[in-house]
Amino acid sequence: MTMRFSVYQVSRKGGREKNEDRMGYCYTRDSGLFALADGMGGHPEGEVASQLALQTLAAMFQRDSKPTLADPLRFLHEAIIAGHHQLLRYATQKSLIDTPRTTVVACVLQGKAAYWAHCGDSRLYLVRGDKLIARTRDHSYSELQETLSQVVPMGERFNRNVLFTCLGSPGKPVVDTVGPLLLQPRDRLLLCSDGLWGTVSDASITDQLAHHPISDAVPELVEQALRNGGPKCDNVSVIAMEWESADDSKGPGISTQTLGEEVFASTIQASVMGQDVPDELDDAEIERSIKEINEAIRRSSQKKN
Amino acid sequence: MSKPKPAPLPSGTVVGGYQVIKKLAAGGFGVVYLAEDSERHLVALKEYLPSSLAERSPGELTPRVKPEKQPLYRLGLKSFFEEGRSLAQISHSSVVSVLNFFRENETVYMVMNYLQGDTLQDFIVTARDLKRDKVFRESTIRSLFDEILRGLRIVHQHKMLHLDIKPANIFITNDNKAVLLDFGAAREVLSKEGNFIRPMYTPGFAAPEMYRRDGTLGPWTDIYAIGACIYACMQGYPPNDAPQRIEKDRLALSLSRLRNVYSDNLIEVTEWCMSLDPLSRPQSVFALQKELARETERRYTKLSFSERLKLQLENLTSAKA
Repeated sequence: MTMRFSVYQVSRKGGREKNEDRMGYCYTRDSGLFALADGMGGHPEGEVASQLALQTLAAMFQRDSKPTLADPLRFLHEAIIAGHHQLLRYATQKSLIDTPRTTVVACVLQGKAAYWAHCGDSRLYLVRGDKLIARTRDHSYSELQETLSQVVPMGERFNRNVLFTCLGSPGKPVVDTVGPLLLQPRDRLLLCSDGLWGTVSDASITDQLAHHPISDAVPELVEQALRNGGPKCDNVSVIAMEWESADDSKGPGISTQTLGEEVFASTIQASVMGQDVPDELDDAEIERSIKEINEAIRRSSQKKN
Repeated sequence: MSKPKPAPLPSGTVVGGYQVIKKLAAGGFGVVYLAEDSERHLVALKEYLPSSLAERSPGELTPRVKPEKQPLYRLGLKSFFEEGRSLAQISHSSVVSVLNFFRENETVYMVMNYLQGDTLQDFIVTARDLKRDKVFRESTIRSLFDEILRGLRIVHQHKMLHLDIKPANIFITNDNKAVLLDFGAAREVLSKEGNFIRPMYTPGFAAPEMYRRDGTLGPWTDIYAIGACIYACMQGYPPNDAPQRIEKDRLALSLSRLRNVYSDNLIEVTEWCMSLDPLSRPQSVFALQKELARETERRYTKLSFSERLKLQLENLTSAKA
């Protein structure tokens, strides 16, 4: 069962010194994994945490998708917990006083369905037509409170940034899994860090995804977040994919039809654990940068006229 | 043993649909060509070709980069993209505009508006050779810098610093518009790499923090350069460079020569912008704009007898030196 989808991703540093967000995707002929992690400030090496979480997911996906995952939900759960253990091991190896921490959200597309899982406050949005069909609930005290306040009255509001679970924390991470959810052609899925949803409303995110191709919607949403976030804006990362029907072979996206059973493609760099991720551009990123710049040129020249 | 510079593309070469007419300038970062697009409009074409990292023999199109230099080359490329990205977002008549960005010959090209006119540097040289007591009229200076600051303000709003503002990078078009050229964001990143040993700044216009590895750069760094440009517009020559000033600061003295020629306010603003301590300068372009736009009655203070005497002594000692 081959697949067709298009995918577009943008990550920007915002006003921060470092970009601690990581994201990427990988796929075989019959299964695709999309993931995003937001390394946490206030703990050491946030960018290592997010990178390790993604690498673990990608490595396990490569191992287990032959060429499909036997049980996508179980895979997501195990791979996220495995990432957590990698972080603990990394901290021990490097004798760090504190463990690097990260959030993670990951989505598997397989057959005609989507499966996803998350830990922390990086989100998944699923838009069908012009409606928001699904969104993850953050593992933050504020969203927990909103849920609980329906049941029991609670005290003052919590800061939305305070999470009660993440990868690398002393306790076992809470991982929520959802799926399978049957996809329809033109369904759009978006994964993002809180740099996006912190300053751009769910309604705007839904609206952009509903009315523009993802190659326009993603850069536009990121621009909005950077504008709204101001000079101290958080890292903003967004990866979105559009599900296309397998028989619509004219679409612009990626078709896995031509891939052999053994083929595995990935944008997530597998580097030796703990090694610095080289801050280099690969060809895909060069192309993306050029596209982004030309998009920006087009937009500002429109403004001028 | 200096390595030969990479050869520029020969005239007539077509890249990305643009035909190269001639080389306009070459810097550490690349080469700028005058080129023509398919509709025969003139453009400036900037090629990423860092002279210390890439090699290209005359007649070749694709630069060669040694494997050990690849990481730095790619890092520089990233900065080149940053420059393009930032400029692309800015749509302002006082900032050179980017028209296109493309990849060819295994490097990248930025297409910019080709401007016709002369640099402020050319104007200063022409004006000072007339040997009048004023290089430019005060109203000219004020309106010129008002225009430049409007552009610079937008640049800073996009979290970018120019870092190489000088009269040679301020362009006055034939229809009398001031435009900022040659953005230094790329230089800023590259200079952090130890392998680059070349001046990243222009003496006289570079703020003292540019000379220090740990110096915190900010809008105030560009503001120092603006002050130095105003100085050059009044005096006809650039000010002493920052290390000289730290050694012995003659700025106040040389500005005092301009008293009664330019208003006290303009002289004070210049001195304010050029404070050696970054915190003593206007902290934002907006603050400076407000000061420059203040159209109160201009006051001129003549030099006192003792001040004139001091100046004469100074002239004598500097003549001896």
